[in-house]
Amino acid sequence: MQHILDILGWVLSNIILLITIFIFTAYFLLAVFSAVTLRVYLRKNSYVDYNSIILSPLTPSVSVIAPAFNESRTIVENVRALLSLYYNNFEVIVVNDGSTDDSFNKIMQAYDLEKVNYFFDYRIPCQRIRGVYKSKNRSFYNLIVIDKINGGKADALNAGINVSHNQLICSIDVDSIMEPDALLKMVKPFLEETDKKVIGAGGVVRIANSSDIQGGQIKKVNLPRKFLARVQVLEYTRAFLMGRMAWARLDGLLLISGALGLFDRETVIKCGGYSIETVGEDMELVVRMRRYMSDNGEKYKVTYIPDPLCWTEVPSSLKVLGRQRNRWTRGTAETLLKHKKIFFGRKYGIFGLLGYPYWFFFEWLAPIIEFFALLFFLFYVIFSTPNWPFVILLFTFVYTFAVSLSIWAVLFEEMTYHKYERKRDVLKLIGTAFFEPFFFHPLTVAWAIKGNWDYLRGKKAWGKMDREGFKDSSAGKSEKPEKVLPGKESERETS
Amino acid sequence: MRLIINIRLFSSRYLVIMSLGIMFFLVVPDSLSFALRVNNHSSQGISEIESRSGNNMRIFFLKHVDFDQHTALIRGLIIVTIYSSISMIILLVFILFHRNQMESEERMRQELKEKYQSLLMDYLFNDDESAQTPNKISAIAADDFKRLILMEEMRDLIVNLSGDAADNLRKLYYRLNLDVDSRIKASSRKWHIKIKGFRELAFMNIKDANKEIVRCLHSNNSILRMEAQLAMVRLNDEDRFSFLDHLQRPFTMWEQINVHEMIVNHNLEIPKFKRWLNSSNKTVVIFSMKMIRVFKQKEAWMEIVRLLDDKDPEIRNNAIFVLGELRIKQAVIPLKHHYKSEIYENLLEIVIALGRISDLSALRFLIMVIDKEDDVQLQIEAARAIRDMGDPGEKALDKLMHSDYKNYKIIIKHVLDKRI
Repeated sequence: MQHILDILGWVLSNIILLITIFIFTAYFLLAVFSAVTLRVYLRKNSYVDYNSIILSPLTPSVSVIAPAFNESRTIVENVRALLSLYYNNFEVIVVNDGSTDDSFNKIMQAYDLEKVNYFFDYRIPCQRIRGVYKSKNRSFYNLIVIDKINGGKADALNAGINVSHNQLICSIDVDSIMEPDALLKMVKPFLEETDKKVIGAGGVVRIANSSDIQGGQIKKVNLPRKFLARVQVLEYTRAFLMGRMAWARLDGLLLISGALGLFDRETVIKCGGYSIETVGEDMELVVRMRRYMSDNGEKYKVTYIPDPLCWTEVPSSLKVLGRQRNRWTRGTAETLLKHKKIFFGRKYGIFGLLGYPYWFFFEWLAPIIEFFALLFFLFYVIFSTPNWPFVILLFTFVYTFAVSLSIWAVLFEEMTYHKYERKRDVLKLIGTAFFEPFFFHPLTVAWAIKGNWDYLRGKKAWGKMDREGFKDSSAGKSEKPEKVLPGKESERETS
Repeated sequence: MRLIINIRLFSSRYLVIMSLGIMFFLVVPDSLSFALRVNNHSSQGISEIESRSGNNMRIFFLKHVDFDQHTALIRGLIIVTIYSSISMIILLVFILFHRNQMESEERMRQELKEKYQSLLMDYLFNDDESAQTPNKISAIAADDFKRLILMEEMRDLIVNLSGDAADNLRKLYYRLNLDVDSRIKASSRKWHIKIKGFRELAFMNIKDANKEIVRCLHSNNSILRMEAQLAMVRLNDEDRFSFLDHLQRPFTMWEQINVHEMIVNHNLEIPKFKRWLNSSNKTVVIFSMKMIRVFKQKEAWMEIVRLLDDKDPEIRNNAIFVLGELRIKQAVIPLKHHYKSEIYENLLEIVIALGRISDLSALRFLIMVIDKEDDVQLQIEAARAIRDMGDPGEKALDKLMHSDYKNYKIIIKHVLDKRI
């Protein structure tokens, strides 16, 4: 027994410690790299006049594809916000993915829709499209509504791609709020294309819980009142401003958020569109597109815009957040294992040599290692006497480093976009950083473990996603709808 | 004011260095002393270090941590822990300080901008105050920060001015010696300062710094290169677009959009873009074709038809597109001729172009496309092209719709539906 404990002790004090240091070093380097990249981006961007894009006859055409499943309460406002995006050459394709509520009727009435003889090719397989609708009102000439049989978010996006004829497709969540100039900013990397083909561009998704929303647009950004949502603000800030910025610069970005991504339509079609086999279709598409380009020896680029372009509501209850994280974990596992060929594949460049292994070890395996480390530690505490000063030192190290990283993230936000106008909000955010490691982080580990377990069991469900709904200050009342994200399984759960 | 700006620059630029520096002085001397004893962690060594320093935290760890196995790692942990703790405090103070400073600076900048704008307007349009106003403006220009704002304001103003008012503003610019500032900026080693200089020189129409701008036309920095191109378009009266003759790098769509905007917004003389249709730079050729389309320079059609034989499919694609957009009837035969040998994307473009040209001589050819091609997209575009030929086209489609040979109903219904 003592021998086993000695081995466990050795593992705990050496391997786990080394892994921790390795992870933290990676975080630190990514943060430094992000800071430099962000600074260059902001400086360059200060000379950009996006009006040039609006006024130009040379801009590429864009189809904004918004899959909708049971969005009855917000769909009319959200579509209106999409139609008022600043861009001169775009259409909005709303895909009603077999909603069981009155979403379709509402949008039909609000925009005076009628069925048109729209013919299209199922270039990417998707569930049957029952009809394509356009507005009788010429003001909404660029609105197309597809009514189809339920097939999940990926399937709905594929239907939208089949109907679209434009050069670029922008996939969004219909319940997200896009900044009016989001398309202008996302299109720009495609305009700057040289010898490398730009196949995708991602933008920063920010959290809109507790913010003032009017007419489907953010009027005032507030920090979420609930701790659970607030802690996700920190998490998103770290991920988007510190992580993805650096990965995009290194050419190792694996994920463009499903809430907002702009892609080259032809490349997406050649790759077969969104996969309906995974719950992480956003990540899987980017990985597959990159793999396709590398396998065909084509030079390409996946870019990333650090400007806040899209606002979303994050879960503010543990139950729903747990389901979301569980799905993210399963999506990551599915994608990484499906494309394991990329792992340290030299022909994939930084993407294969750094990007993929980083996700494999730090995003997928790290919670598992952390979980087993904790088990080791508890076992050791029960059956032996740990070196307490060392334990305290280790925990202090992890805690202080994690908190300081979060505060650096807040600084990044302050030095760049400072979306939170009130000083009190910034202080609250910093305060949250001190509590996050105790209350939130252990939960994320638990959800990741559960996600991996469910993945092993072959679970494919999206999980029911109840949300509070945005409060529209112009409406003067709070909406509290129960919302189910698009997904076959969601439908199964509700029926 | 200047103090605020200086503090801001200092803070943002040196924050990291400052905190690392503090760490260095707080931690590194200790860690170096540890390093000297890396293999000797006896209590004697520890007490030696203790006696040299009164750092309680360090003493605590030295007494309680087992250094026999983890010396280097533990030292690292201690250093990072202290660094993280102190950086938290520094960042907290900095974030709060930065917020106050940013707000006050923004307020001040806004106030000054409004004030200078009204002063400049007085100078340009109000004769009564014109005697005193130049002195006030001169006083402003003596201060570095205020001069910066004044320059920005003048630059914004001149965009909307023409004739005497614009000339007067330029004279004022010279009188305040702001042109010297702009030239210094244009010669700066820093690209972002250079750009400011280029912009000021271009807006104020100062041509004697063109050499510096020409040098940057081949810069590796894409944004600097573009700004140099735009400045040349503004300043080089003799041959505004001569940079296209020597452009080696790809002329990106973003650069093209900006040059086009410059032509339109400043009513610049539009050159004959067919001059660059033989450029060795593919992107310059494509840009020229786009400009030929936008500015409807139909006389270039023969040169564009020649590009249908270019070996680059993208150039051919653009040539087809432009011929269609310009509705060049003479292009129908060459387009039909090239149909046999083209790649898929260009086949589609040919069919669309024939639709735009709407020449009845292409009717039979388009019906043949519908009949012979299996690709739905080609069929749709061919049907649409036939529809665009007016009555004869619609009659032909009606006939096709009732054909027993193939089921075209859905496709033809789609193209005849005017709501789509």
